[in-house]
Amino acid sequence: MIEISNLAKKFAVENPKKLSDQEKKDPRLKGRFFHSVRDVSFYCESGEVLGLLGPNGAGKTTTLRMLSTALTPDSGEIIINGTNVVTKPVVARQMIGFLSGSTGLYGRLTGRENIAYFGQLHGMSEEQIDAKISELADILDMHTFLDRRSENFSTGMKQKTAIARAVVHDPKVVILDEPTTGLDIMAAQTVLDFIRRLKDQGVPVIFSTHHLDEVAELCDRVTVIHHGKTHFSDSFDAFKAQAEGSLHKSFMHVINQGA
Amino acid sequence: MWKVMLKEIKELLRDRKTLFFMVALPILVFPLLIGVVMFFAGKAVDKAENKVLDYAVVGAQYAPALVEDLAASDLFNQVMIDEGQDIAAFVKSEQADFVLVIPDNFSEDALQSGQIELSLYLNDAGLNMVRRRLDKIVDVYAERSQQKAFASLELDESQQQALIEPIVIKKVDVADKRENWGEKIGGMIPYFIFMLCLQGAMIPATDLGAGEKERGTLETLLISPIERHKLVLGKFLTIALAGATSALITVSSMAVWGLVISQGMAIKMVSEFMSAINAIDFVLMFLMLVPVVAIFSAVLLSLSIYARSFKEAQGYMTPLVFAVIVPVMLAMLPGVELKGGWAWVPLTNVALAIKELIKGTMDYFQLFAIFSSTAVIAGALLYFCVYWFNKEKVLFR
Repeated sequence: MIEISNLAKKFAVENPKKLSDQEKKDPRLKGRFFHSVRDVSFYCESGEVLGLLGPNGAGKTTTLRMLSTALTPDSGEIIINGTNVVTKPVVARQMIGFLSGSTGLYGRLTGRENIAYFGQLHGMSEEQIDAKISELADILDMHTFLDRRSENFSTGMKQKTAIARAVVHDPKVVILDEPTTGLDIMAAQTVLDFIRRLKDQGVPVIFSTHHLDEVAELCDRVTVIHHGKTHFSDSFDAFKAQAEGSLHKSFMHVINQGA
Repeated sequence: MWKVMLKEIKELLRDRKTLFFMVALPILVFPLLIGVVMFFAGKAVDKAENKVLDYAVVGAQYAPALVEDLAASDLFNQVMIDEGQDIAAFVKSEQADFVLVIPDNFSEDALQSGQIELSLYLNDAGLNMVRRRLDKIVDVYAERSQQKAFASLELDESQQQALIEPIVIKKVDVADKRENWGEKIGGMIPYFIFMLCLQGAMIPATDLGAGEKERGTLETLLISPIERHKLVLGKFLTIALAGATSALITVSSMAVWGLVISQGMAIKMVSEFMSAINAIDFVLMFLMLVPVVAIFSAVLLSLSIYARSFKEAQGYMTPLVFAVIVPVMLAMLPGVELKGGWAWVPLTNVALAIKELIKGTMDYFQLFAIFSSTAVIAGALLYFCVYWFNKEKVLFR
C-alpha cells in the first residue's frame, strides 16, 4: 500500500513580474515562493485504484512527481509498503512504475530496445528482460511492431510501449499522470484495460485524470486536490454521494466546499 | 554507467544526421571543398600564364633591339599608342595590359649612361604575369651591360661579386626546419583540433540533454533506479568519445588527404616534417586532448540539460565556440610561451604545448602543470555537471 501524509513542495519564483494576474491572485504565492503543494494526504491499499482529481494547476503533477521520486518534497512523508520514499529514493524507485501522458520514447531505438534499456537500468538480467518483454507483448498485443524503430510508431503503439516500459520491472505501485490525455479512444482504452489488469493483480494504482467517466469505471477511491491541498479523500461511493445527479456536481461541490 | 553509455552510443550510431557531421563531413566534404578551391585557383593561374598580353612602347627608338625582342615573343602583342597620349589613362581604359616607357639614355654601356630607369605602366591589382615575362627579356640586356662594364674595368670574379653586393649578411638559423615550420603552423593546429572536438561533441550533447527533455524521456530516466552520477558519467563519456572520435577522424583525414595532394609536389618537405615528430609526441598530444575534451563535454552537457529544447541548447552552445577561440588566440600571440603562469592557463597551455611538441622544443616538466590544471578544471566541471543534474530547477524548467 501507499500512504502519503502532509506533502508540501514550494518552488522559487524566478521573475515575479512575469506572473499572470491569475497566478498573482493564487493564495499559494507567498513572496518569492510558489507553494505548489501545501498539504496533500491520501492512501491507497493493494488492489485499489485511486483517482486523483483537481483543476489544472491544482498540484496533481507535482504530487505525482514527488511520489515517483523525480521531485523531493519539502515536508511530509511517502511510505510504500513500509519503505520511506523520501529518505530512500533509489530503493523506492525499484518499486514504482511511472507513466506520464507526455512521456516519449527513444525514436532511434526499437520498441524492444526501449523497454529493455529500462529493464537493464533496473538491474534485470537478459533472460528476465526477454521473458518479461514477450509476456508484455502478448498482453498488450505488441508483436507486430516490437522490433521496429519507435520513431514511426502511432500514438497507440507508443503508449503500449511506454506502458510496457513502466512495468517491465514488476513494480509494487503504479503511478500514472494523466495517462489518457491526448490519446484517441482506442489508445485510451488500452491504458484503462491495463489499469484494470493491474488492479486484478493486486497492484495499487494511482492516476490523475480529468475524465470522470474513467473514475466511475475504475476507481475505488477518489482524492480531490485544489490549490495544493487535499479537499476530499475517501471511497468512490462517498465521492458520488457528495451531490445529487452526476459526478461533475460532486466534483464542483467538493471544490466549492473548501473555497 | 556503461549501460547508459552503450545505449547512447547505439542511438548515436543510428542517427544519420550526426554521423554525417561527424564522419562524412571531415572525410569527404572538407577535402572536396579545398579541392574545388584549388581547382579554380589553378585554373586562374593557368589562364594568367597563357594569356597573350597587349602592350605598347613609348621611346622605342632608344632601344630598337629590346623592342624587337618584345615583338618576337609569342606572349606579347604590340598595340600602338599615340604620341603625347596620357599613358596612365591609356592603360586604365584597358587599351593595353601594360605600357613600357624607355628613356633616352638607354644603352648597353652602364658606365656611360648610369642607371637606366624603364617605366612600366600597368594595373597591378590583379594576378598578372607582366613583370615576370618582362624581366626575362630585360634581364638579358641588364646582364650584358653589367658584363661589359666589368670587362672595361678589368675586374676579376670576386671583385665583381663584391661590387654587386659589397656587404652580405649571411643568416645562420639555429632553428631546424621543424622548429621553423612548427612556429608557423603550430599555432593553427590546436585551433583546428579544439574546434573539431567541440563541434563533434556538440550534436550528441544536444541530443543527450535537451533531446531527452524535448522527447519526454527524461522524467522516466530520472526515476529509474540508477544513481544520478552514473547517469551523468554515462552521458558524459558518450559525448567525450564522440568529440574525440570526430577530431581524430578529421585529423587523420587531413593527414591522408594532405599526403595524397602533396604527392609529387612538396612531398619530401611534408614527410620530413612529419617524421621529425616522434610517436611519443603524438601520444602526448592526444593525451593532453583528453582533459580538454572532458572540459568541453562537461560544459556542453551542463548547457544541454539546462535547455528546454534543441533550439535553446544550440543557442547556448554557439557562444561557446567564441569562448574557446580566446584562449587559443592567446597561445598564438607572440611572447606567450609555455612558461610560468601561462602553463597553468587552461586551453591556452594545451594549445601552447601542442605547438611546442610540433616544434620539438617541448619542456616536458611543464606537462605536470598542464595536466594538473586541465584535469582539475575538467574534474570540477564534471562535478558541477552531476550537481546540476540533481537540481530540480534545472531538470523541470
